[in-house]
Amino acid sequence: MIAALSTGGDFAEIFMEDTRGTTLRMLNGSLEEGVSGRDYGVGIRIFQGYRSVYAYTNDASKENLLKVALEAAAALEGTPGLTDIVLNRLVVETFNPIRLEPSSVLHTDKVAVMKRAHGAATGYDQAITQVAITYLDTDQNVLIANSDGLLVEDRRVRTRLGINAVASKGNEKQSAFRGPGAHMGFELFDHIDVEAVARDAARSAVTMVNADYAPSGKYPVIIDNAFGGVIFHEACGHGLEATSVAKGASVFSGKLGQQVASPLVTAVDDGTIPNAWGSQNVDDEGTKTRRNVLIENGILKGYMIDKLNARRMAMEPTGSSRRQSYKYAPTSRMTNTFICAGDSTKEEIIGNTEYALYARHMGGGSVNPATGEFNFAVSEGYIVRNGKIEKPVRGGTLIGQGSQILQKIDMVASNLATGQGMCGSLSGSIPTDVGQPTIRVSEITVGGRKGDN
Amino acid sequence: MDIHEFKGKVFAAGAAAGLQEMEIYFSQSKNFSTRIFQKEVDGYSVSMEQGVGFRARFGGKVGYSYVETLDQESIQLLVEGAKANAQIIDSDDEIEFFSGSAAYPNVAAYNAKLETLPAEEKIEFAKALESEAFASDARVSMVNWAATGYNETKVYIANTKGLEQSFRRNGAYGLVSAVVREGEQVKTSARMVFSNDWEAFDAKKMAGEAVEEATSLLGASSVPSGDYSVLLRHDVAHDLLSTFVSVFSAEAVQKGLSLLAGKLGEQVASSIVTLIDDPLLENGGASASFDGEGVATRTKTVIENGKLKTFLHNLKTAKKDGVESTGNASRASFKAPVGISPTNFFIQPGELSYEDMIKRMGDGLIIIDVQGLHSGANPVSGDFSLGAYGYLVEKGQIVRPVEQITVAGNFFTLLETVEEIGSDLKFGRPSPGGYVGSPTLLVRHLSVAGM
Repeated sequence: MIAALSTGGDFAEIFMEDTRGTTLRMLNGSLEEGVSGRDYGVGIRIFQGYRSVYAYTNDASKENLLKVALEAAAALEGTPGLTDIVLNRLVVETFNPIRLEPSSVLHTDKVAVMKRAHGAATGYDQAITQVAITYLDTDQNVLIANSDGLLVEDRRVRTRLGINAVASKGNEKQSAFRGPGAHMGFELFDHIDVEAVARDAARSAVTMVNADYAPSGKYPVIIDNAFGGVIFHEACGHGLEATSVAKGASVFSGKLGQQVASPLVTAVDDGTIPNAWGSQNVDDEGTKTRRNVLIENGILKGYMIDKLNARRMAMEPTGSSRRQSYKYAPTSRMTNTFICAGDSTKEEIIGNTEYALYARHMGGGSVNPATGEFNFAVSEGYIVRNGKIEKPVRGGTLIGQGSQILQKIDMVASNLATGQGMCGSLSGSIPTDVGQPTIRVSEITVGGRKGDN
Repeated sequence: MDIHEFKGKVFAAGAAAGLQEMEIYFSQSKNFSTRIFQKEVDGYSVSMEQGVGFRARFGGKVGYSYVETLDQESIQLLVEGAKANAQIIDSDDEIEFFSGSAAYPNVAAYNAKLETLPAEEKIEFAKALESEAFASDARVSMVNWAATGYNETKVYIANTKGLEQSFRRNGAYGLVSAVVREGEQVKTSARMVFSNDWEAFDAKKMAGEAVEEATSLLGASSVPSGDYSVLLRHDVAHDLLSTFVSVFSAEAVQKGLSLLAGKLGEQVASSIVTLIDDPLLENGGASASFDGEGVATRTKTVIENGKLKTFLHNLKTAKKDGVESTGNASRASFKAPVGISPTNFFIQPGELSYEDMIKRMGDGLIIIDVQGLHSGANPVSGDFSLGAYGYLVEKGQIVRPVEQITVAGNFFTLLETVEEIGSDLKFGRPSPGGYVGSPTLLVRHLSVAGM
């Protein structure tokens, strides 16, 4: 770090990572691929005011690290900063205990879980023609030190099962994906009902292959709980990351304290939920994660902020800085993000709706933070008519502007649940939880294939 | 230790552990990137990275492992990891370790001049992207991306059957994204250029185009829902093609995940569509002399005048179909198992300029960007439903910008109904999934949702 600061940098940080991982893939019950490996490397970051320099390498020898630090420092100009750094170890009590370490579990036990998932999905219906199962575990050990004197280590063990079921009817195929995961070891499978999740994927695929196309147009949409929270993640969450806020590039820049959403909306990003998929004891800058209230009763309360953007914004970091690996400089990202429970029930919402698209399961989406324009796919949809679910529909895409959609949330149920996803952005692909209760949005543009309702 | 010494030790340790055949796939890269914000270097990154992918046959099955450090501990991790993974495989796929092609093509993908380009010059270029953007229109409120980067990758493959090949490529990119504001309205547009010829980088042109496009979108509104004739601009067309590219993979076909299964020799596209996979393209983003299994690459016509001529194969799928590998085995990275992907993959351009294409369409929409390709497109069914924006065209003239619409359709139907192909072939960004290009396409009857 002293070498890194030799050309005028005012802050240096080392991120060392040693990660072991296993990925297993099964297609139609037959294990086709097994890959295991080790990622190992070091990232060095230097700040000078708002400037930041990042360098990384796989070679952690002292000579090479000094060489890389000087190479990074060469991008800056100035006089040497610190000549001595005293590191104080921050001891972090884990709130993400691991019971069954992936490395202690036999490959054959991992395969057995995959076979259970395969069997349940395949057995659901004859229309299921293909089932692909992916099992993955990672054990990431990081050491983070910086020139402020921080030294902290953290361990993140994550396990996930991916189930992709394909249903066929004549020449048509529809697929459905479910991917439960957690910041846990193999005990994940004591917490989830593998067969039930697999059957749900199969049910969704079969329902969709028999569905008609969603009607196009602008009309109310009911978005179910759990993975439905991807709407908040895309429509709003990315716009609350300091990455875009700090430079005034977000529609939410400069709006703290203002009404940005319907008063029914309270939204939180919480990296401290024990064993949740997006949880970490500390973020990837070594700051303890915390519960950040983003929106409270519709009022914008806070952003997700990393160290570099904290400088630009003159605000404190919020424990939100994350990265895929040492190959990425960290930046503000989401952890477990959700809309909090409201007072209605899902039944009331559906019962009180004359006509709507009911998005029971969402696919992924994306957003342009500068304009707030988002889009996402409805992977399992239904038409609600006169307070009743009428029929399944497929192929719907929701588009709109995040800030407008937030204002149009007119009912929020109490059934908060979360779903797991991988979020891709500047600092790579990271595990994040999305979540919400069932909500109703009074109007969204639905892209489908049919002209009328 | 160096990779040759490491390989020797891994193969020796593997043989001692009873591994029957072994292969290493080594990649080493050097990266540089910088980002400018308000005339300052806002981001600057340099890296050297490497990794070794290992696969080995044990008990007839093949397992994989990888490491990023070439040390003693890694040797054990590779050997034990691959052996353990081989033991759980129950697929009956026949996997071949290739002993090498008779000859390998000469492919230009490395430019030594680019390697020695000083960092300062790349920083200056990114600064120019920002300043040119601000200079080109007063409504530019921010340049949220002004960046350049450089990448150099060396790939080396060797196995116990005598295969030993290496290949090197480099390239640079420039990216500018401008935000324009007029009242409460905000629009963005970006331009990105990839090349290993620094002469191809023109900051004024890139920034000017991005700003011109962003300002042209001010005042956009939706259109009534309905059926429209649509020009898919070259960049939208190659993004769509790229999203559905797996349908041409023999692996997808054999696994029942491609609706092109059983259609070899049949008309699957409009007779004006010719689709080519050309790994030999000079300085193409995916040019290479051998593929992920060490097989010599070659140029193929995948669709010729609408007829499906071949799927893309690796050794495993080729054996299953009783054909030769087309040299399309891919390794998405050293960590990834062998898959299939195209190389430089593009729709052959036609005669008409972009302007002539607009006239030819008459009335309809030009789509210049789509969102949600990773979620709103289903490669298995071919269905897509995507957020989009662009322009409304009446009587061959652009009349106004259009936003907040979705376009929906089916990739296979789209291929069959392409009515006209422009002359403006453009490629997307190079990726392990291939370097995909297309000219602007005219299609009729896409379903558009708007007001």
